[in-house]
Amino acid sequence: MNSETLNTLDTYSKNKYKYGFVTDIDNEKPKKGLSEDTIKFISLKKNEPKWMLDWRLKSFAKWKKMKEPKWANLSFPEIDYQDIYYYSAPKGFEKKPKDLSEVDPKLIETYNKLGIPLEEQKVLAGVAVDVVFDSVSVATTYKGELEKLGIIFCSIGEAIQKHPDLIKKYLGSVIPPGDHSFSALNSAVFTDGSFVYIPEGVKCPMELSTYFRINAENTGQFERTLIIADKGSYVSYLEGCTAPKRDDNQLHAANVELIALEDAEIKYSTVQNWYPGDEDGKGGIYNFVTKRGLCAGKNSKISWTQVETGSSITWKYPSCILKGDNSIGEFYSVAITNNFQQADTGTKMTHIGKNTKSKIISKGISLGKSQNTYRGEVSFLRKAEKARNYTQCDSLLVGNQCGAHTVPYIDSKNNTAVIEHEASTSKINEDQLYYCRQRGLSHEEAVSLIVNGFCKQVLQELPMEFAVEAQKLVSISLEGSVG
Amino acid sequence: MNIQDNYQKNKKNIFFSKNKDVQNHREKLINIFKNDRFDKKNNESLKNVNLKNFLDFKYKYLVPEETSVINNNNDNTYSIVSVNGQCSNFKDDKIEITKIVEEDYNDFSKNNTIANNDHFVNLNSLFLNCGFKIIIKKNNNIKIKISNIITDDDLTIFQKNNFICEEGSSLNLIEEYENKNNSTLNILNVIKLEKNSQLNHFLIQDNSPNHNLIITSHSSCKKDSTYIQKVYNFSEGYVRNFHFSELIEINSEADLQGIFFLKDNNISNNKTFVKHLAEDCKSNQVYKGILNDRSTATYFSNTHVDQVAQKTEGYQLSKGILLSENASYFSKPELKIYADDVKCSHGSTIGPIDENAIFYLRSRGMSKIAATKILISSFINEELSSIDNDQMSEIIQKKIVRYLSKVK
Repeated sequence: MNSETLNTLDTYSKNKYKYGFVTDIDNEKPKKGLSEDTIKFISLKKNEPKWMLDWRLKSFAKWKKMKEPKWANLSFPEIDYQDIYYYSAPKGFEKKPKDLSEVDPKLIETYNKLGIPLEEQKVLAGVAVDVVFDSVSVATTYKGELEKLGIIFCSIGEAIQKHPDLIKKYLGSVIPPGDHSFSALNSAVFTDGSFVYIPEGVKCPMELSTYFRINAENTGQFERTLIIADKGSYVSYLEGCTAPKRDDNQLHAANVELIALEDAEIKYSTVQNWYPGDEDGKGGIYNFVTKRGLCAGKNSKISWTQVETGSSITWKYPSCILKGDNSIGEFYSVAITNNFQQADTGTKMTHIGKNTKSKIISKGISLGKSQNTYRGEVSFLRKAEKARNYTQCDSLLVGNQCGAHTVPYIDSKNNTAVIEHEASTSKINEDQLYYCRQRGLSHEEAVSLIVNGFCKQVLQELPMEFAVEAQKLVSISLEGSVG
Repeated sequence: MNIQDNYQKNKKNIFFSKNKDVQNHREKLINIFKNDRFDKKNNESLKNVNLKNFLDFKYKYLVPEETSVINNNNDNTYSIVSVNGQCSNFKDDKIEITKIVEEDYNDFSKNNTIANNDHFVNLNSLFLNCGFKIIIKKNNNIKIKISNIITDDDLTIFQKNNFICEEGSSLNLIEEYENKNNSTLNILNVIKLEKNSQLNHFLIQDNSPNHNLIITSHSSCKKDSTYIQKVYNFSEGYVRNFHFSELIEINSEADLQGIFFLKDNNISNNKTFVKHLAEDCKSNQVYKGILNDRSTATYFSNTHVDQVAQKTEGYQLSKGILLSENASYFSKPELKIYADDVKCSHGSTIGPIDENAIFYLRSRGMSKIAATKILISSFINEELSSIDNDQMSEIIQKKIVRYLSKVK
C-alpha cells in the first residue's frame, strides 16, 4: 500500500466515524452464515442494549420455523442463508476502484445520461475518494435545520441508542417479526436503515432522503426503516436514487414501517434501480422488501409511489392498513422489467375504519424475456362502512417473449363499501407509433415517448427532481430491447 | 376415516379399480391427500370449505333399479333422465350414449389444465362410481335436456361425463340439478368440441339446503368451434362451479357466464379458467352475484394466454351486489399473458345497490323494496335477455321472482 492510499483510507475512516454508526473498522472478518452467534455479533458491534438483542433473537427463533412464501410468480434458485455475510463492515479499499477510469464504462454512460454530477457519480460507483464531502456539508446544514423543528432523522442504530422509547413502542408494530420469513429474517439481522420522527403539528420543510445521510453509501442488505408522523404532521421521504447501484450482496430483505397518527400524512417515494443482472440473466439482486404503513389515527394519509426498474427479482408489496376513520391510502407504481428480470409487485389495502379510501394505480411494462406481475389485495372488513377503493392496473408488453400478469384479490365484507377494479393488457398502439414515426422520431424514441406517457399518471406523483430523473430512467430501461 | 381407508374399503364398488393405469393414477392422488397441508389460504379449491366434512365423509352409492329413459321426440330433441348418475345406453344415427370406459378416465388423468391441488376433482377421480358419454355425430343439430335425479338420502355420487361434438355438429344442452335430499353430487364434465362445432350449455341449479353440488367442467375447443356456457345458480345448498376451457386451435371461442343468487348461509364457490393456446381465439368470462343475508361467495377468473396465442381477445367481468351487511364476496380476476399482440382486460366491482338509482325510483313514488327489486332485475337483465329459448327463460324468470319475493 502506498502512502497516498493510506492517507485516503485514514480520512475516509475518520469521516465514517464522524457520522458513524460503525465505531471502528474491524480487522476481524465476520463469519458467514446465520446463527445466534452472528446475531449476537451484530448486536455487539452495534453496541445495542439487551432488549434489542432479545428482540432479534426472538425473531430469529421465529424465522427458523418459517418457510419462504412461495405464492409469488417468481422462479429463482433456493437461497442458501448460510452462505451470506450478515454483517459487512466498510469494504476494504483495496477492492474499490480508485477513480472513475476503473469503473465499468457502461455505468458511467448511464450516469451521464441521467445527468448525475461527477462527484456523485464517484460515490455511486463506490470510488474511494473524499469528494463525498460536498454532499456531506449539504447534509449537515439540513440536519441543523431539522433539529430546530424537533424532527429526528438518524440511522436506526442511533435511534436505538438515543430514542429507545420510540423504538420499543413502534418497531415491529406494523410488520410483526413473525409476519413471514423475510420479515423475521430482517428483524433478526437488520444492520442499518433510517429512523424518522416528526413531532406533533410539524410539516417537514424538505424531502427527507437517505441520500443526504452519509451512510447512505452502505445502506446494507437488511435495511430497516421506521417513520413516525405524529398528530397533524407531514413528511415526504425519498428512498433510493435513480442511478444504477452496484452491490455485492445478492439478497436484500428490507423492512419499512410507516405510522401516521391523527391528521398526519406520509408520502414515501422509491426509485429502485439495483443491478438487474446482465443480458443473459446472470447475477443481479434479489429484492424481497416488506413495506407497510399504518394509518393509525383519524384523517391520516399514507401514499406510496414507486418506480421499479432494477433487481433481477423484485418481491415487493407496499401496503396500507387503514385503521383510522376517514384515512386514505394510495399506491402508485411503475414497474419495468427487461431481459430476464422478474417482478412480482403490488399492494395491499386493508380497510378497517369507516369512510376509508384507497386508490391504486399500477403500470407494468415488460420487455425482453422478463415476467412482470401485479399482485394486489383490497379487503373491506365488516366495520369499514362506506369505504371506497379504485384500482387500475395496466400492462404493456413489448416483444413476444415476455409476460404480463395481473393477480388481484378482492374481498368485501361490507355492503356499503364500493370497490372498483379494472385492468387491461395490450401492446404499444400501432397508430400512436406510426404518428410519432411520421413526425421524425426514431422507433426507439417513439416507444420511449409512448411508454413515458403510459407511466405519466404515476411519475407525476413523484417529487419534482425525482420525476425528471425517473423519466430519463424509464427511457434508459427501454434501451436495447426495442426495435 | 381418512381418504385412503375410505377408498380401500369401498374399492369394489368404485369404477375401474382393477385397471393398472387407473390404479397408478389413484395411488398418486392418495399420496397427494396424504402429503398436502390443506392450505386454505392459497388453495383456491378449499376456500370456504369445511375441511372435516370434506375429508371425512361416509361413502354410499346405490345402483338405480330402474334404467333411465330417453325420449326421442323425432325433432332432434332428446331428454335424458340420469338417475344416480347413470343412464341407459342409446344409439341412433345422430347421437350415441354409452357408459364411460377406462380409456376416458386415462385420457382425463393425463390432462393437466385442472391442477392436482383441486381436491374435489381428485376425490372425483378416486371415488368414481358412475357416468356416461354422449357423442353427437357429424353435422347434426341436436337439443338435449338432462335431468339429474338422486334417489336416496346420504348418497355420495362421483360422476364423470364425456361430451363429444363431432365436426360440424351443434348441440343445445340443458342440464337441470334440482335435488331435494341431503346427498352430495360431485360431477366432472369433459367436453370435446371438434372442428366447426358448437355447444350451448345451460346449467340450472336449484337444490335444497342439504344438498351439495360440486360441478367441474373441462372443455377443449378445436378450430372454429364455440363453447358457450351459462350457469344459473339458485341453490340453497353448497354449490361449487369450476369451469375450465382450453382453446387449442385457431379461431375458437369460449364464453363462460354465470349468475348466482344467494341467501341465508349459502356458500357458492366459482371459478372460470380459459387457456388460450392458439391464435385468433376469443374468450369471455362474466359472473354476476347477488348476495343476501349471511351468504358468502368467491369467484376466481383466470385468462391464460400462451406465447403462441397472438391476436387473442380475452375479457373478464365480475360484479357483485351485497344486499345485507353480513354477506361477503371475494373475487380474484387474474390475467397471465405471455404474448404481446393481445387485447385482454378485466373488471370487477363489488358494492351495494346504487343509492342514487334507488333515490330516483323512490322519488317517483316507488317503495324501497320495489325499487331494490327493479334494480336487481336490471342488474342481470343483459344475461337473461340473451337466452333464446323461451321455455328456459320462463323457468329462470320464475326462479328469480321466487328469490326476489324473499328480499326485504
